[in-house]
Amino acid sequence: MQKPIPVPAPGSQVHWHLDAPYSLRHLLIIAAILIVLILTGQRTEMDKMVMMTTEAAGKLLGVADDSQVVRGLSRVATSMWPPVLGETEEISRLPEFKRDQLPILSRIEVQERVEQRMNTETLQLEPHSESVEVLVKPVGYVVSVFIKMIETLEIALWGTIIAVILSAPLAYFAARNYSPNQASYTAARGFISLLRSAPELIVALFLVLAYGFGPIAGVLALGLHAAGFLGKFYAEDIENADKKPQEALEAIGAGKLKTLWYGVVPQVLPQYIAYTAYILDRNLRMATVIGLVGAGGIGQELKGRFDMFQYGHVMTILIAIFIFVFILDQLSARIRNKLI
Amino acid sequence: MPDRILKGEAMIHFDNLGKAWPDGTKALSDISLHIPRGQFCVILGPSGAGKSTLLRAVNGLMHPTQGQVRIDGTALTHATQKQLRRRIAMIHQHFNLTSRLSVAANVLSGLLPVVSTPRALTGWFRSEHRRKACGLLQRVGLAPTHLKRRAGDLSGGQQQRVGIARAFMLDPEVVLADEPVASLDPKISRDILTLIRDAAREHNTTVLCSLHQIDLAREFGDRIVGMRDGKIVFDGTPAEFTDERVSALYHGAHWEDPPKKAEPEAAGFELAHV
Ligand SMILES: Nc1ncnc2c1ncn2[C@@H]1O[C@H](COP(=O)(O)OP(=O)(O)OP(=O)(O)O)[C@@H](O)[C@H]1O
Ligand SMILES: [Mg+2]
Repeated sequence: MQKPIPVPAPGSQVHWHLDAPYSLRHLLIIAAILIVLILTGQRTEMDKMVMMTTEAAGKLLGVADDSQVVRGLSRVATSMWPPVLGETEEISRLPEFKRDQLPILSRIEVQERVEQRMNTETLQLEPHSESVEVLVKPVGYVVSVFIKMIETLEIALWGTIIAVILSAPLAYFAARNYSPNQASYTAARGFISLLRSAPELIVALFLVLAYGFGPIAGVLALGLHAAGFLGKFYAEDIENADKKPQEALEAIGAGKLKTLWYGVVPQVLPQYIAYTAYILDRNLRMATVIGLVGAGGIGQELKGRFDMFQYGHVMTILIAIFIFVFILDQLSARIRNKLI
Repeated sequence: MPDRILKGEAMIHFDNLGKAWPDGTKALSDISLHIPRGQFCVILGPSGAGKSTLLRAVNGLMHPTQGQVRIDGTALTHATQKQLRRRIAMIHQHFNLTSRLSVAANVLSGLLPVVSTPRALTGWFRSEHRRKACGLLQRVGLAPTHLKRRAGDLSGGQQQRVGIARAFMLDPEVVLADEPVASLDPKISRDILTLIRDAAREHNTTVLCSLHQIDLAREFGDRIVGMRDGKIVFDGTPAEFTDERVSALYHGAHWEDPPKKAEPEAAGFELAHV
């Protein structure tokens, strides 16, 4: 049997002590946090959210007999199903239609069309049927969604290119050790904050007014916001880069730009590439949304169909976006694994 | 030793140079010294003596708070600094290469002050410049296979060779070497200093080199300057730099005082008795 070590050692005294880990102050902090949570939770109707969700779960399990959430969702779901794949166009309205040169995967059909027309003699509306020739493209809508998706990709790509081009000089002026003077430093930092603080969607809203509907507004909105992000991170990398090679070049009087190019850029290039890849990834996601305000891409198509209550088309677009983002995630995960 | 190396026309003049850092540290006080053209001058002294500060005054990396430096008669000022820096190369203790850049690009970066911006940014150096870089790399003892290697992947000795090649790209009139061999083994240290000395002799280049190794200082220096607390406490030939003067320089006593028996330092004393 081992005896415990006598503490304190005989003849000595312990002068220091360890406090208990919690005190009244911690209790007060926890109480304050709770109050903030309760107040904000009430204002954002979190209590109601929990009730409605419980009700919906109850309805699905057959316990509750009605749920507003389930009703709403099923109404949307029925009007969105099935997704629209094809397109039909009246041949008489196609100006340059050639009967012997049908577009691929399409056929001509004769459809009966019933219209209400005014009978000039009886002044009554009478059903009037007429047969029209239509061009049926069974996957026509899928093809046009695909083309819109490609446009979305292009918007993201060019948004990223514009961001890189704008952020390079911005980063130079926003790096404290390279900016020519305090004024240019403050101006560049201020401009970067401005770009970063304006969300893409809001910027796009204004750019659509300036450049009209279409991809220009989308590209610029994505590019400007990302330029702020890249400018800030590039500048911070420049400031934190290893000073030793820079000093060697400064010592022989190489000049600021050449020193930056030979002493800093090679050192920070891996981080630059990582940031830029992140921006491309982010822009690809944002590009699907930016069209909601008319700035081109798949979002613009979505908004148009939504406003015309064509929920079948909306469904097709949502499925396309899902597939697109899924493929993107797979690709970027794979590329990341390869790079690291 | 030719007398002109000890007494010739001065290449570097320090005129009553002083430096007080903002925190009040006096790194240099009232340094007056002239270094003749072609001299290999070694600066010795304990850590914190002000050796680096003195070297960095020569190319304006450090601005003195008193006095001035003259290079070949021209005072180093804001206006003349850019022109003068092209004539002054520097070799660093930590090599200061851009580690992710190739050896070739690092050597060519020694030309940056005279290369046009478009050429510098595209890396499209003139063929005679590329030939010169290869020649210098061969001269410092590297192999052609090193050209495209990343500078950071080389050993310390090899990196310092690259640093020397970079320093000699512009045929400097002055080479500042701040502890160029501090992190290298004794054999390679000697090789590196030999390279610097021989290259300097060929170009009649003036070398100002700080060291911590007494034996190397005696072997390579035409002249030894001993510094302590920002002042010059010894100035003479290696032959005059006797062992007493060495211990005076490193053991607190002023060098003019007769060398005392070295007192054991407090920490050492205690350790010896534990
Ligand atoms: N940037 C600085 N700010 C304040 N004090 C400095 C600075 N650089 C150097 N010093 C001080 O100046 C004095 C001389 O430093 P210096 O680096 O010249 O010494 P050294 O002789 O090169 O030493 P070592 O042999 O360790 O390299 C030291 O007291 C140092 O603390
Ligand atoms: Mg030093």
